[in-house]
Amino acid sequence: MSQSGSGKRQVSLIADMLELPSSPSEKAHLIGSRCRICKEAFFPKRHYCASCTSAEMEEIPLSQKGKIHTYTISRATPPGSIMKAPYGIAQIQLPEGAMVIAVLADCDLEALSIGKEAELVVEKVKEDEGGNDVMSFKFKPL
Amino acid sequence: MSCPSSSNRFDGGMDMREVVVMGVGMHKFGRFPDKSVQDLGREAIQNALEDGGIPFKEIEAAYVGHVYQPMGTGADVVNQFGQTGIPITNMEVACTSSTQGLIRAYWEIASGLYDVVLTVGVEKMQRGLLQGTTAPGSYEEVMGLKVMPAVYAMKTKRHMHEYGTTFRQLAMCSVKEHKNGCLNPYAQYQKPCTVEEVMNSRMIADPITLLMCSPTSDGASAAVLCAKDKAGRYTSKPLVTIASWAFGSDLYAKEEGEGEFAGVEVLANRAYEMAGIEPKDVDVAQIHDAFSPGEIFLPEALGLVPKGEGGPWVEAGRTDIGGDIPINTDGGLVSRGHPVGATGLAQVAELVWQLRGEAGPRQVSGNPKVALQHNAGIGGVCVNIFKK
Repeated sequence: MSQSGSGKRQVSLIADMLELPSSPSEKAHLIGSRCRICKEAFFPKRHYCASCTSAEMEEIPLSQKGKIHTYTISRATPPGSIMKAPYGIAQIQLPEGAMVIAVLADCDLEALSIGKEAELVVEKVKEDEGGNDVMSFKFKPL
Repeated sequence: MSCPSSSNRFDGGMDMREVVVMGVGMHKFGRFPDKSVQDLGREAIQNALEDGGIPFKEIEAAYVGHVYQPMGTGADVVNQFGQTGIPITNMEVACTSSTQGLIRAYWEIASGLYDVVLTVGVEKMQRGLLQGTTAPGSYEEVMGLKVMPAVYAMKTKRHMHEYGTTFRQLAMCSVKEHKNGCLNPYAQYQKPCTVEEVMNSRMIADPITLLMCSPTSDGASAAVLCAKDKAGRYTSKPLVTIASWAFGSDLYAKEEGEGEFAGVEVLANRAYEMAGIEPKDVDVAQIHDAFSPGEIFLPEALGLVPKGEGGPWVEAGRTDIGGDIPINTDGGLVSRGHPVGATGLAQVAELVWQLRGEAGPRQVSGNPKVALQHNAGIGGVCVNIFKK
């Protein structure tokens, strides 16, 4: 969580997935986990390793940049979502090995391609009852 | 990759009995606002009992697969035929729900517990986009991430990237599905379409268009399973044996390259091994094509089509009814319809008709002897092999 200039608080939509910066010099990052036994990395974080079942999981900050493993453009908005179709959805392969499924931030949807770099961005998705900005993440193709 | 569930004691190592699918029945798939699930299920069960030549009072247990129906639906559907006190169990493993009943009925008969078990699938669904399995207000729901066509679309994009599969080839799957559906009186859609119509229909999640999506449906399906050595009491029809079964939940795999279908490959190999056959021995197959591109990458994962050749095979008609490996002769999920809990046994019904030579205008020529069913859903994949 962080304080913005206006005094309004920023809160994460998904506190256990996204760490917001605590000062302007810091960057937001996703929270993953890595298995101490088989070294497999995951997002979101897990209590047990999906690959080897060990409970030896450590929380790790994930890199802000990754590569588009695959993507699509959703032309319809499912019920309950704040997104406005069309919007991009991608699997982002991060250097740690974790795969993140994320919405793509505002970009030229027709110029998307597999292998392109994309970077974590944090955006306000709504305000909560207390007037705080509720923040979530997307990936912006570079 | 290890798969602990791959050890399988039902492979002849124990003293297991052979099990046959003695009778199958369907209620047409489509939209039936004036019918209840009991109505739909009653027709499918009645057809299966008549097909198997067996009175309901001989049924010793029943499984009823459904996803969107209320608690107790299984008993409500089956008890219409009489309250004989048999165990009736509801099954839910998403789109594989009714196939799960078939597998458990197989175990019970193979192990000698029962001789005759009824399996059923029933469903009534709402119109509209089928979503994934997220809780209301979850991150995935708010961000619009868990959309089923999008999940399939991303697998398809990856296949196009790796193997050069074309948008046109994807559209040709849909054309083939609808062509087969026209020959199936139980299909929800019995209307042909052209490649251009599929390509120009509304884009849902690139590259998947509306005509490549399975619809939401109402419908029912049923199958009566019997110990092979007891089936002669009831029927003189050719006996279709369950030669092998494989069911597993999603196997963890890094979603890169081939890993994406690792679970399907493991299960298919187990099913082939238990049936004592190779992929080339399969004469006709039912593949879970929730979206048309599944007819391209799933036959590859099952070993029926060489890796990367799914697109060219469809384009050359090699998966048509008259092709090298006929796939989804009944129209598949896209044209036959997809009332999720009833889909699995509809696949089985079509394969039984094909193996018996009763599939009419859809009949695969050359006296097919080996059939493969692939039924997949959120949290589970089944690969079963049937033999005449």
